[in-house]
Amino acid sequence: MKGIRFRGCMVVLALGLALVLTPPAAAGETYKLGLSLAITGPTSDAGNPYSKGVEDYMRLVNDTGILGDAKVDCPIRDDMYETAVTKRNFEDFIDQGIVLFLSYATGGNLALAQDFDEVQIPVIPASFHKGIVDAAKYVFLPIASYSHQYVGLGEYVAKNHKGGDLPKVACFIHPSAFGRAPLEDFQAAIAAGLKMEIVEVVEHGKDLDNSALLQRLRSKGVQYVLCQTVQSPVVTLINDSQRLGLTAQSFGEEGKITFLGAHYTGGNDLIALAGSAAEGFYWTTSYRLTSEKGPWTAWQLDLAKKYGRDEKTANSHNYTNGIMAAQVAVEAIRRTREAGQEVTRAALYETLNQMNGDKAYQPLTTVGPVTYSATDRMGVDTLQLYVVKDGAFRAVGEPFKPEYLK
Amino acid sequence: MSANRWFATGNFYTTYRQEQRIFTTHLDRVLFGLFLFFLFVWPLFVSASNKHMLVINNILIAVVAVYGLNLVTGFAGLISIGHAAFVGIGAYTLAGTARAIGDSHVLITHAWPLMILISGFMGAAFGAFVGLPAMRLKHLYLAIATLSFQMIFSWTINFMTFFNQGQMIAVGRVFWISGQVGRNEHYLFWYYVILVTAVVCGLGVRNLLRTRYGRCLVAVRDNDRAADAMGMHPGLTKVYAFALAGFFAGIAGALHTYMFRGAGFESFTLHHSIIYLAMAIVGGLGTLPGSLFGPVAIQILELQMEHISEWAGTFLPATMNLATALRPLGFGLVIVLFLMFEPRGIANWWRICRSYFKLWPFRY
Repeated sequence: MKGIRFRGCMVVLALGLALVLTPPAAAGETYKLGLSLAITGPTSDAGNPYSKGVEDYMRLVNDTGILGDAKVDCPIRDDMYETAVTKRNFEDFIDQGIVLFLSYATGGNLALAQDFDEVQIPVIPASFHKGIVDAAKYVFLPIASYSHQYVGLGEYVAKNHKGGDLPKVACFIHPSAFGRAPLEDFQAAIAAGLKMEIVEVVEHGKDLDNSALLQRLRSKGVQYVLCQTVQSPVVTLINDSQRLGLTAQSFGEEGKITFLGAHYTGGNDLIALAGSAAEGFYWTTSYRLTSEKGPWTAWQLDLAKKYGRDEKTANSHNYTNGIMAAQVAVEAIRRTREAGQEVTRAALYETLNQMNGDKAYQPLTTVGPVTYSATDRMGVDTLQLYVVKDGAFRAVGEPFKPEYLK
Repeated sequence: MSANRWFATGNFYTTYRQEQRIFTTHLDRVLFGLFLFFLFVWPLFVSASNKHMLVINNILIAVVAVYGLNLVTGFAGLISIGHAAFVGIGAYTLAGTARAIGDSHVLITHAWPLMILISGFMGAAFGAFVGLPAMRLKHLYLAIATLSFQMIFSWTINFMTFFNQGQMIAVGRVFWISGQVGRNEHYLFWYYVILVTAVVCGLGVRNLLRTRYGRCLVAVRDNDRAADAMGMHPGLTKVYAFALAGFFAGIAGALHTYMFRGAGFESFTLHHSIIYLAMAIVGGLGTLPGSLFGPVAIQILELQMEHISEWAGTFLPATMNLATALRPLGFGLVIVLFLMFEPRGIANWWRICRSYFKLWPFRY
């Protein structure tokens, strides 16, 4: 009798312990994500601060409990801008059971597009190439595509060009899929009525001197150079232009050249490298900058300070870029949890698709809300134009949407 | 020849034919058979992750490519620093065909062994063409000629719209007897295909080296004038060395394209040519086992450095980027130290190890 009572007590105790120790559903879970990008090698000047942005925001999420008692685990792998390594990292992440993939380069995304669709995993890339969205339906661009940025710059030129003639532009692009990405849409916009003439498309090499190129462009009457590349070739170009006295002192100055560029051409690195030659450089992106004071400035700088980042990283727009990608991923997880759903790839895909209308997400880091739907794969649709004035990027006008590209 | 064909101690060859045997003893043959058996059956018992299967497949593809590089650089003594371009020729033969006729055309998805072979022959054709300057050039001059080919290849792929200007050209999933090879079995399927290819190519190279054509390569490397005086044709030998290298590279390129389900320019740059050369040197130039050891060593080293950097990143201060720098620094340092202290490559360790057992119980 005594033995039976003892065993009964043990069973009750065991059941009690099991109840106490078993966590409630979805509480204390860790959600696995993965980021593969170029921390070393080509484009690492952008990849390095980007990775730090993702890392810091993920740490903030875990440290401050943005997801309640749940955590995020986002290992970051260097792929050295090599597609084969990106693929290996991706397969590794898939083996680990990630629910969302943060990817990087245009080439890597295009190469993995088939895999994204087969695995049915939501992907947020650092590349804004519209073609990735066409290639894989699980890709969600964080901001306006390169095409939108480029056409947006073209529209600004067309609207603000002085004189009755057609503005003559040259396209200065990176010799890769990334560089060529917006050309077709830009040409289509011109065919659709955007008033300008493309005089020359220049795929730059690794030139250390662009004097001949600039003289040629000027002799052809080029007044605007639209850049879609990374910072260093633009720095060489604008430095040479300043040396030759070809840089416009005001927008569209006659007989001179005004330089404009898309997201990866600008930022503080451009100013640091080009110095006074960067003055008057027009740049567009969907991100807010720390050089423009606002609530986001203190928030971003505090975040960087909290995790021991240097001033350069803290003020980098690619740091902002990384933070924003992480914000969107975490917000999708938060909303999925809030809806009482299990955080899976399919659920996150659905949550991201519903991120529109009154459910649009407004992070501090962008000039407009993040909206996605089954037919809209571009997060922030609006762009902000900036210009370098007295050694810092300053906003020009209000955020806008290109009219010739829907 | 030793009377005991199982445990022969020392060399007792009485004819050249005996010396040219692939396996010196029955034990060699059995061990090799067991090794092959192991390579074929381990995936049935061990469930490797996709990442690891990808790494293993990459190693085996590199083995096939390095067979070619070892033939031209190791055995024929002709330096080639454009080997990735030859691999690219094979890859783009397949990818270009897919672009022209559709990535799911029956030729791509069903006749894939034929496509791999065609890619190999295309590589051979380009190899022979690039090898033509070798008839008049040597050493650094020849290196520059092969480098030029690498640059021409880069330009062609990056600027021609037919090749999608270097962007990924996709190829469809292939079919096997059991139907379409899906994502779940993709890496395992290609493991077996690449393994069979690597074994067949390896035996092919081994047999080539037993023939007069193979010995011609070595003779021309050692002294082309002497080889000429002995009745060989040094020029033709050099051209066919390049053609053979191109063939193996082309095969490797096609396998790469099928395994990665497409071809993109990033995988065939000058950097990759240097990596192939490093594999051949670290493995052991002019040795067949070196073609196996080199790719294994380099790929594993790269992976380990990646893990070490990641681990170091957990405690090194983030502001100094030390963890990031650790990987290229460590990788480079290991290669340099290796070249300084073991210039004959890992194959030399293998030779020492074999010699020890061959002479055992005697010390020399």
